This record gives sequence, structure tokens and C-alpha cells, in this order.
Amino acid sequence: MNIKKLGKLALPYLVWMLVLVGIPLLMIFILSFMNTDGVSFAGATWTTAAWEKMFTLADTTNLQILGYTFLTAFVATVICFLIGYPMAYIVARSPFSNKFVILILTIIPMWSNSLLRNVALKNILSESNILDSLLSRIGLSFSIVFANQDQATFISIVIGLVLTFLPFMILPIYTVIEKIDESLLEASMDLGANRVRTFAKVTFPLSMKGVTTGIIMVFLPCFSGFAIQKLLSSGTVYVLGSLIEVNYIHDINFVSMLSIVILVLIFGSMMIVNKVDKEGATLV
Amino acid sequence: MGVRKKEPGRITRYLRRPEVEKVLQSIANVLKYAFFAFFMFLMYLPIIVIAIQSFNESTGLIYQFTGFTFDHWKNVLTFNLDSSLMKAISTTLLVALLATGISTVLGTIIAIGIHSLPQKKRQGMVFLNQVPILNADIITGISLMFVFKIVAEVIPGVFGIPSLLIAHVFFCIPYVVLSVLPKLAELDDNLYDAALDLYCKPAVGITKVIIPAIMPGILTGMLIAFTMSIDDFLISFFNAGQVNNLSIYIYGGYNRRLAPEVYAYNTILSTVIIVALIAMYVSSSLKKRKNLKREPRHA
Amino acid sequence: MKIMSYWGSVNGRGRSMAKKLIELKDITKMYDGTAVVDHINLYINENEFITLLGPSGCGKTTTLRMIGGFEKPDSGEVVMNGAVVNDIPPYERPINTVFQRYALFPHLNVYDNIAFGLRNQKVPKAEIAERVENALKMVSLPNFALRKVANLSGGQMQRVAIARAIVNKPKILLLDEPLAALDLKLRQNMQYELKEMQRKLGITFVYVTHDQEEALTMSDTIVVMKDGVIQQIGTPTGIYNEPKNRFVARFIGESNILDGVYVRQNLVSFMGAEFDCVDTQFADGEPVDVVIRPEDLDIIDAVGAKLIGEVSSSIFRGVHFELCVMVQGKEFVIHTYENRKVGEHVGLRVDSYEIHLMKVEHVEH
Repeated sequence: MNIKKLGKLALPYLVWMLVLVGIPLLMIFILSFMNTDGVSFAGATWTTAAWEKMFTLADTTNLQILGYTFLTAFVATVICFLIGYPMAYIVARSPFSNKFVILILTIIPMWSNSLLRNVALKNILSESNILDSLLSRIGLSFSIVFANQDQATFISIVIGLVLTFLPFMILPIYTVIEKIDESLLEASMDLGANRVRTFAKVTFPLSMKGVTTGIIMVFLPCFSGFAIQKLLSSGTVYVLGSLIEVNYIHDINFVSMLSIVILVLIFGSMMIVNKVDKEGATLV
Repeated sequence: MGVRKKEPGRITRYLRRPEVEKVLQSIANVLKYAFFAFFMFLMYLPIIVIAIQSFNESTGLIYQFTGFTFDHWKNVLTFNLDSSLMKAISTTLLVALLATGISTVLGTIIAIGIHSLPQKKRQGMVFLNQVPILNADIITGISLMFVFKIVAEVIPGVFGIPSLLIAHVFFCIPYVVLSVLPKLAELDDNLYDAALDLYCKPAVGITKVIIPAIMPGILTGMLIAFTMSIDDFLISFFNAGQVNNLSIYIYGGYNRRLAPEVYAYNTILSTVIIVALIAMYVSSSLKKRKNLKREPRHA
Repeated sequence: MKIMSYWGSVNGRGRSMAKKLIELKDITKMYDGTAVVDHINLYINENEFITLLGPSGCGKTTTLRMIGGFEKPDSGEVVMNGAVVNDIPPYERPINTVFQRYALFPHLNVYDNIAFGLRNQKVPKAEIAERVENALKMVSLPNFALRKVANLSGGQMQRVAIARAIVNKPKILLLDEPLAALDLKLRQNMQYELKEMQRKLGITFVYVTHDQEEALTMSDTIVVMKDGVIQQIGTPTGIYNEPKNRFVARFIGESNILDGVYVRQNLVSFMGAEFDCVDTQFADGEPVDVVIRPEDLDIIDAVGAKLIGEVSSSIFRGVHFELCVMVQGKEFVIHTYENRKVGEHVGLRVDSYEIHLMKVEHVEH
């Protein structure tokens, strides 16, 4: 294509991104070290109050929230990987002539509102639930009983996160496994590796790109969201996102500081993605 | 695989017998697909429950199925909804349709631009384009809110549908760009030149040749953009002002009973999308088959 | 062979008298600070089949693209029919192109691909149908109109690409390595067909290739390029028999190239012996590069021969044998019809008119 002429079409996008990404990031950074009234800087002073609100040993409530958030996100991501990798592998290596259909099957749940799906999930996980109500008509029952409320909340949240974000783990992994040249596997077997070894030494390393993307695409929303957690705990649990939700109108400085905590994670993951997947091939 | 060859043990030898191996293979296959089906089922379980709820007559308790009714479906299809739900649904659809349209057009143009950049700059732009995708929604939401708060100083009415729409366009464009770029990379480098060579002016060359050739990528991007837009909660939450979209509406009702029409609406919408996609898929594969029949391939 | 080259040079003189269609005057094109085309001067005549030949990266495709209008030269002028056309876009030039890997429009069928240019020129529908049909006949693909492009074989795509270009009746047809993706047999057939097509259509073909055999087979004129610089312009026989420098001699056909000294008129010395020769344009005692083609060396008895060596290898090449003979530590390649055993001592003989002398180039890569 006529290189120099059409390249101009991308220029406004650069400006658009700088305005909508660059400026706010700068603001977030500056605001986290100030006490302002909203976004107006009038009469504002430099302070580390926002940071102290989080990282203080005098009151560890917020640190505990951070820990709980990390724990739920971490557990959900690990489970997503343990379920999602085999599922992606099964689809990609299936003999079915039409993988497209199976793939669509994994995407279909995404066309239902994700919050509504979690409302439904909460229903299922309640002691008396709609499935039980239906099954009781034919003399069956269905009910999950938890040991205590804390356990119930934690497990519910993890299940909710896993079921909501599982497709984001499956799709990128599927994309890379699907692209692995069949002849590489044959070459590996030809060179004396059995199936297990071929998987460990060829397939898995080659799918790392998708795994990395998948893990990031699951962990980040699990770590930074708050709606699923709130729905499934009926508002009894606070996560990092909840702190932002509660404070976003009145305490912009604290919210900015919380954003930086999340941004640090994102920055790390972007570096990783940029290393393993320069053209963004696994993101769609 | 060691260098030393060990004589396989009795159990190994038994397992390597063809008839045994065959049985083991089929057991493994069954387990494999059972695993797949089980988690597929788990993913669908909430949707099944949503569908059940959409027919649930019970007006009081959502945990009880008291009887079967079509009323909720009828209410959705006749727009007989309570006003807050009605507003939430219409906002969601309006924003989704507009955002999808705008981001598809802009995303395609941007993708063509990025594709035409020299390699170093292109990689830079691709990376920049990934920022909103990799960025946590909550950060995108807050970032845009900051920008709109500044804009609101000048244009007070920006919060609401305008801010919501711009925010959605913002996070939809990257998906379109990412879907279109690989299609552009597949194209013959000379395709655009060929159009110019055959008397197309530059703009005509793009619309007549490049756009049709990358159409599948554009459609994919469009579908993803729409999917992301109708389901978005976090970014909308911070940028909707006083307006509610469906996700915000559902979130707001976390501790109370949702209007049963929500379930019906959700079921209808996903059914429509699925049916439309299946229809598109079937018609395209029928066309392909017809072409193959009409034009037997010569070796 | 020299006789033919004599005719070649007559043609060469005739070439400058024919009508010039395009002229490239002192053209330079830079990419990232390096000149991919470096001050080239070239003219192309009406009805000429001219080939730009060179290794990849020699600037031949860039030159072609500047003629087509896809690239603008950084300096110099492209002159067409007496007018400078540097700024005329491709869609306003009476030139069509057959692109490398064809660049067929994947979303259109064969008919729509070929009709594409005509439609853009607002040619009436009935005329389009007729011209497309004729073009399809011309490339021997009748009844292919409704085929999907994706279902065609490489050779068929190639023909559609040619039809899509010639249907517009251009004054000049540019072909960018059009046969590179085809297999050997098909490529040879297409070479013949293209030449025939050019004769029938009576239009100018500017052909880009890195394949010297293709260039020798089809061209009226060959332009040998290297590193953005034209090395030699001439007829196929002229370039084969009288390469101007080591690069051309090596790139076109196989050659034995030796260091020699021009002793005096009609006498050259190399490999410690003196030989008669016919070249005259050197100063007495001037060092020269001596070129002898493998088929011009004859094997004779070692006794009394000026060049004596030992056969180091022998390969059967179908029609001839390819022998390598070591003479005073220098390897000679010889094409001969009679085989000799490896290790055998043989003499080599060369006729005076088969010895070609070239000016020594000081920059030798």
C-alpha cells in the first residue's frame, strides 16, 4: 500500500489516545499526591495523605481489603487457567470439522449481560434456589451448603469470577494452539518424544503467548472490578474496586492513589504482552 | 527418552497391546469431552437460570418457580416496561448501536493508517492501541471521567449520553483495529497499487478494493465492539452521569428484586444475536458449497 | 557467437533511432538515506520488450514502480512522450501493471477483476463485455469469467492478471517478476506466450526479473542493474558475448574470468601464455579482465597446449558435460559433449574471437 500517504490516517488516533489516555494518567499521578476539591486545583496542597490512608499499620482495614482482593483474583485466575487451558486445547485439537461452532459456543455466554449472569449465579448458590424449586417438583433437590458465611462469600465470588472471565482465558489460548503447525508435533514425535513430552516441550512453550494474554485478561478485571463481588456477597464484601466506587465522588485523591496501585499491575502486564505478542495477535 | 533402552515392564506391555490401547484411547476421549461438556454446562447454567426466570410467574420470590408465564416476554416485546428499565434498555441499545457504527468506521480507517506506517511506528501504534484493551476497565472509566470532568467545566451537559457514547467509542475502536489489522496484513501488498493502476482515484481505491477485501475483519470487529458495548458496566458506571444503562440498572438492584422483564429482555437479545449469527454462518457456508459445486476445482 | 553479437550491435544502433516512449533522466530514489536507484538514465522505445535484470535489491522493481507512478523519484525526470510525468498519478498514466503475486482482487470474480479498469474508465457495458471476452481468449482462459479468483491455480491467476492489464489497451505494460511464482515448465511456456502476446499487441513491455535465462529468452533489450546503478544496456546476445564488467559476466551465464594484460593490438597474455584476440580498445600493457564462456573452451591433447590442467570433476548435465579443470591452481569450467575422466591431464584451447576482454574495475565486491 502507498505507505507514506495512508499512514496519515493514523495520526488523529495518536492525538485521541494521548488526550484520553495520557492526560488522565498524568492527572491520576499528580492527584494522588494532593488534596484537591474534585479536579479543581484551587487551594490544593501537596500531601501523601492518600497513600497513608492505604499503606498504614495503624489501621489495616484497607490493606486487608487489598489482600482479600488479590487472593480472590489470584485463585480465580489459577482456576481459570486450569480449566481454560484444557478446554482451549480440546477445541483446538478436536477432530470436529467445524471448530467455529464450538468456538461460538464459548462466546455465546458473553452475549448475556454479565452482571445478570451473576445475579442468576447468586440464585443458584443460595440455599433455597430456583433450580431446587424446579427439581423439587420431580422429587429431586439441589442445594449447595457452605460451612459458614465467609466461606460461602469467598467461594461464590471465585465461582462468579471464573464463570464470567473463563472465555477470556480460553480464546487467546485457543488462538495460539490452533496456529501451531501440525508438522511441528509430528517432527517432535518423529524425533522420539512421546505425546506427553511433545506437549511439554513443543505445544505448551509455543502456547505461552496465549497463556500470558489469558492470565492478564482474567487477572486484571478480577483484581480491579467490584460489581461481581458486590452482587455475590450482597454488598457485605469490600474489594479494591469498592473503595474506588465509594470514594470516586468525594475523594478523588484517594481514588487516584488506588488507581496507581492497579496501574502498577497493568504496566507490568503490558510490558509482558509487548514482549511476547508485539502485534496483539492474541487479544481478539 | 533415555539413551539406555529399558525392557518395558509387564504392566506397560499389557497397556501397549493394541486392543487395550484402543480402549484406553476411547476412555481418554470420553473423559476429555466430559470435562469440556461439564465446564461448558457450568458456563451456561446462569444463562439457563436467566431463561427460566424469564418464564417464572412468581412476582414475590425469585427463588421459587411458581408457574409458567409468557407475560414477561410479552411485556418486553410490546415495550410495556417500567420506565427506569425501559430507559436503561434504550440507553444501552442506543449507545451500543451508535458506538458500534462509529467505532467500526473510525477503527477501519485507523487500521488502514496504522498498516501503512513503517514497521517501527506501526508497532508503536499497535501497542498504543492495546492500552485500552489491556487497561483495567476501572482505570479507563476513571480516566475518562477525569477528562469529562474537565470538559464539563466548559460544556456542562457533557455527562450523560454524550460522555457515555464517547467512552464506548473509545473502548470499542481498539477491538475493531485489532480485528482489521491481520486482514490487512493478509492482503497482497500491491492490491491498492493495482486499484490505482486500473484508474481508481485513491479514495475510490480504498472503498472499492481495500474495504471489500478486509470485510470479514471489519465484521468481526463490529461484532466484538457491539458485544463489549452492550455488556459494559465499569466504564459506563463512571461516565454515565445521571443516565443508567442496563448494567448499571442491574447493579443498582443488587439487594432487591429485579423486574422480571430483565430476564426476558436478556434472553430475547442473546437469542436474536445467536439466531442472526447462525443464519449468517449457514448462508455463507451454503454459498461456499454452491460455488464449489458450480466451479469444480481443476488440479 | 561473435557473428551474432555483431548483429546485436547493429540492432543497438537501430535502437537509438526508434521512437522513444519513456525516458528516465538522471533518476534517484532514496529509502532511509540510501539510494536504491542511483542516477540512472534510460530510454524505452515503442514496441520494445525491455527487461530490467538484476539480483534482489538492485533497484529494478523501484525503477518499474517509478515508471508506473507508484513511487516518485527524489530527483530526475520521468519523461513520457516528451512531457515530464513525475507528478502524474498512476490512474492517469496510459500504463498498466502485472504485479508480483498478481494482486488480484479477492472479493471479485475473474470477470469483475478484468472489467475493473474499464468500469473505472466508464466504458459502455456492451463494450466491456466484448473486451473482457477477448482478453480472456487472448490469455487462453475462455469460460473462466465467473470463476472465483481464490479457486484458480497459480498459472491461471497469472493469466487473469495479464488479461486485467491488457484489456485496458495500455501503451506500456509493466511486468514485475510475473513468472516468479510458477513452476519451471509453466514458466517456460509463459515466456513464449508473453513474447508472442507482445508481438501481437504491439505494445511496449517493461519486464522485471532476476532470472537471466528469462531475460535472454524474451527481451529485445536487457538492462542489467546492481545496487541501483545500471551496469550495461544491450541486446541479449550483446550482453552475453560482451559483458562490460565482471558483475555482468558472472550474473549472465557462467564465465571463466581471468586476470590478463593487453600486450598489444590483437594480443593478450594470461595464465603465463599469449593469445590472439580481436578486441582493440585498450592501451598496450594495460591490465584487463579476460572472459571465456564455458562452451567456448575446447578440450585438446595436453601435448603442445597453451593451457594444461587436470580434470577435477565431471557432471553430466543432460545435453553436455560440465567439467572442472584445474590449471595452475585456477579452476576452469568447461561445457563439452565428450566426457573426460577425473584426474586426466588435458589441454584447453580457445579461439581468438571467443576471448572477450573487459576493462578492469577498481571497485570489486
